[in-house]
Amino acid sequence: MTAEKMGEISTRLRAIFALASVAFVAVLAVSPVKDFFQSWKRYEKDYVSYAQTRPDTKRLLADFHPGIDQIWLPEMRVLDRCTTCHQGISQASLRDASVPQPFRAHPAIPHDVKKWGCVICHRGQGPATETSEAHETTLAWEQPLLPIRFIQASCGMCHRADLPQTPKLNRGRELLSQLNCGGCHHLQDIERSAMLGPDLSNVGNKLMRQWIYKWLKEPHTVVDSSGNTVVDGYEMEEEPRMPQFRLTDQEIKALSAYLTTLKGQPIEPFKFDQSVVASLQKSADLADQGEVRFRQMFCTTCHSLAVTQGDETKLIGGDIGPELTKVGSKVNPDWLVAWLRDPQSYLSHALMPRYRWSDQDLYKVTQYINTRLTDPDLLSNVPPLEEPTQEEIRLGQRLFLEKGCASCHVIQGVSPQKDFGPDLAILGSKNVSQLEFGNSNIPRNLISYIQAKITDPLSVNPAARMPQYRLTPTDLDAITTALLSMTGSPANSSLARLVVPRPESAFRPAGAFGELYDRYKCAVCHRFNGDGGNLAPDLSFEGSRAQLQWIAGFLKNPETLRPTLIFRMPQFNITDQEASVIADYLGMVTQSPSVKLSAVDQKQFTPQMAEMGKQLYEVKYQCNACHTIGSAGGYVGPNLSNAGNWLNAAWIEEWLRDPQALVPGTIEPRRSLTDQEVQALTAYVLTLKQKAPPLTTSSAGTKAGGAQ
Amino acid sequence: MKWRDLILFLILPALIILSSCQRKLAVSPANRFLNAYDVEQNANDPQRLIPLSYQQAQGKRVFNNNCVWCHADATPAGPSNRSNLTPTPPLFTDGETFNLLSDDFMRNTITLGGSAMGKSAIMPPWGQTLTQDEIRAVLAYARAVAQPPYKASARPASQYPEK
Repeated sequence: MTAEKMGEISTRLRAIFALASVAFVAVLAVSPVKDFFQSWKRYEKDYVSYAQTRPDTKRLLADFHPGIDQIWLPEMRVLDRCTTCHQGISQASLRDASVPQPFRAHPAIPHDVKKWGCVICHRGQGPATETSEAHETTLAWEQPLLPIRFIQASCGMCHRADLPQTPKLNRGRELLSQLNCGGCHHLQDIERSAMLGPDLSNVGNKLMRQWIYKWLKEPHTVVDSSGNTVVDGYEMEEEPRMPQFRLTDQEIKALSAYLTTLKGQPIEPFKFDQSVVASLQKSADLADQGEVRFRQMFCTTCHSLAVTQGDETKLIGGDIGPELTKVGSKVNPDWLVAWLRDPQSYLSHALMPRYRWSDQDLYKVTQYINTRLTDPDLLSNVPPLEEPTQEEIRLGQRLFLEKGCASCHVIQGVSPQKDFGPDLAILGSKNVSQLEFGNSNIPRNLISYIQAKITDPLSVNPAARMPQYRLTPTDLDAITTALLSMTGSPANSSLARLVVPRPESAFRPAGAFGELYDRYKCAVCHRFNGDGGNLAPDLSFEGSRAQLQWIAGFLKNPETLRPTLIFRMPQFNITDQEASVIADYLGMVTQSPSVKLSAVDQKQFTPQMAEMGKQLYEVKYQCNACHTIGSAGGYVGPNLSNAGNWLNAAWIEEWLRDPQALVPGTIEPRRSLTDQEVQALTAYVLTLKQKAPPLTTSSAGTKAGGAQ
Repeated sequence: MKWRDLILFLILPALIILSSCQRKLAVSPANRFLNAYDVEQNANDPQRLIPLSYQQAQGKRVFNNNCVWCHADATPAGPSNRSNLTPTPPLFTDGETFNLLSDDFMRNTITLGGSAMGKSAIMPPWGQTLTQDEIRAVLAYARAVAQPPYKASARPASQYPEK
């Protein structure tokens, strides 16, 4: 090889080397160039120039640093770079909708946005520095932003107790527990209640096979305006508690056959006093009298009846007990009498109070139910069902377990199935890869999955055992929100510190009052120290509020304090002795520490003060806008016509000073009243007295709005 | 041979550079109802929905707790107290009345009550029961649902905090 040749080659190599170097530099340049064009840098520059157009530039740029802003919460395992672009997030002056995104400030919320960052509530990819990566799902990053309409789910991750600010989440939690989702699924913070579906150990004594068949096929008993029983096309305000299962005809026959054989304890027919029956049977309007009693006793506070007005059929009444429109065609009359006399002997955890019945009332009301609340055509489309064969019974017994019936219904000798469905306690934190979408063509994300699963369980899993629910879009969103809030127990103890648990309280009075409390099921409607129902007033401080004689009288004959309420206290036919036990207990125990009954001397209230109070009531403060006295006034607050016999003077004074301190969340606004005005108003209210209304006996009728 | 090398050296870096460029993900058009915190029916046409922001939705909650009893014809408990009152309180969607009133006037009426602002004493003062944030939220809600729709005045509100 000659030297020239070597030179030639070296020139060529040099060219290649030069080219390679240029290419290498170009490749190296990619990274800084790409970095230079990062979108967040553009946003930062835009923010600075936007801030300069605002009058408060200095404040807006006070904590501005060029570069990536980062909020790191190691305890929560969150790294949040959102504030790199969302620069104005905590600037109160940028809250207006006219401020362009991403600079607009967060609306005022109880948490410090700068401290907590965005990802904890809004989800998304905190470490990402590209808009699309941060906000959307990619193959590598699975957590998209939570759509705003489900955002209350994030509140529920830590706040396990209901907050007033999260109505959608609260509604979802309520639905999950009302629809007995806990029967089959393990849910976070929603306990599996003792009362899911009725105990069926003895159902053969209660129901006919035809009715069971009908119920399993179409678990609605309400009619539409043309008198047809319909399942779809009828708008129930509430989803019935028994959902529709996908059962074949043969399966329904087998299940109904099995259930009719369940006759644990035979029912002994109650023997009515023959003279009562004989005298009542003569009256032509027996069922009408029964209806009057049914209404007087306010059965509709818990039970609803379908009422057709014009073309519209609506359920009117409460939802604590089952709807009763056609119950006369459902139950065995002997069972009905036994149930009304003592519900707990049939079903120990029944919520129905044990009324004190006279033979007359019991006979009238059962006659009303058996003759009026019926529908002769109810079972007309049920095919003839023969005596159950052994084969059917065996199949029914097997189906009862296979279909998950034992998750909600108890049968003696059949062990209850808990957690029959998948565990949903951490559904809200699942990634897309953990979900089974089957052959469905819904978008691949958690929210679409949850909604598809609830609206049509078969769409994502053709072998699903889950029954069919029909929820309104609003309720569906509420349930989705509640499920998304279930992200499981906190990953470590420092996070557990942040969780606000559901308050647990149990009010279990003992003694004579305890027996009555249990007998009349006070806690189904009333709340005591945070435990109990929401339908009726909270009685935690009733002893401070009401006078003892008034409580005893009210129990005997509940009058109407709030004229607009549909739900009234039922008349239990309480005895005098029981009424005084309850009044004494409430007066002794349910006292508010801020109301000192002995501190207010009734004698200090003079007629002059009362006269001044009347002026204040009628003219200066116009209390009559909300309260009724006599026949004039508003509907919002309670009727005060008898307030002098009802309320304690010390309670009225404290109430006028600060209503919310006594009953949190009450509507009456707090006013700035002077001490003199408080005393004058109290003096006036104490003069408002009515004669005790005549006690309603079984034959006397009460008018609606009976306080007058 | 020469050209092939040249092409190789030019194309390889070009490919590397190109591959580093990302395909922009299509951002789905923001649906203002799907992204709304809450929605409310239009008072004149229940089929049409009005999207509510977080603040307006908080206002809706406060309204339904405290104001609905006298400023609407249907209430959570059923009948309304509105027809009982003289003078009859305006409906909360009554844009013809409320659109003429400034934000300050509305806020003061809610805070101090009707009698303080030369209106009827039937309207109680809420300043000690609701927070100022809640009162602002109620006002934002009333502005959102007003029929005819409320238009903020052309002059922008002050940037400075209220004195």
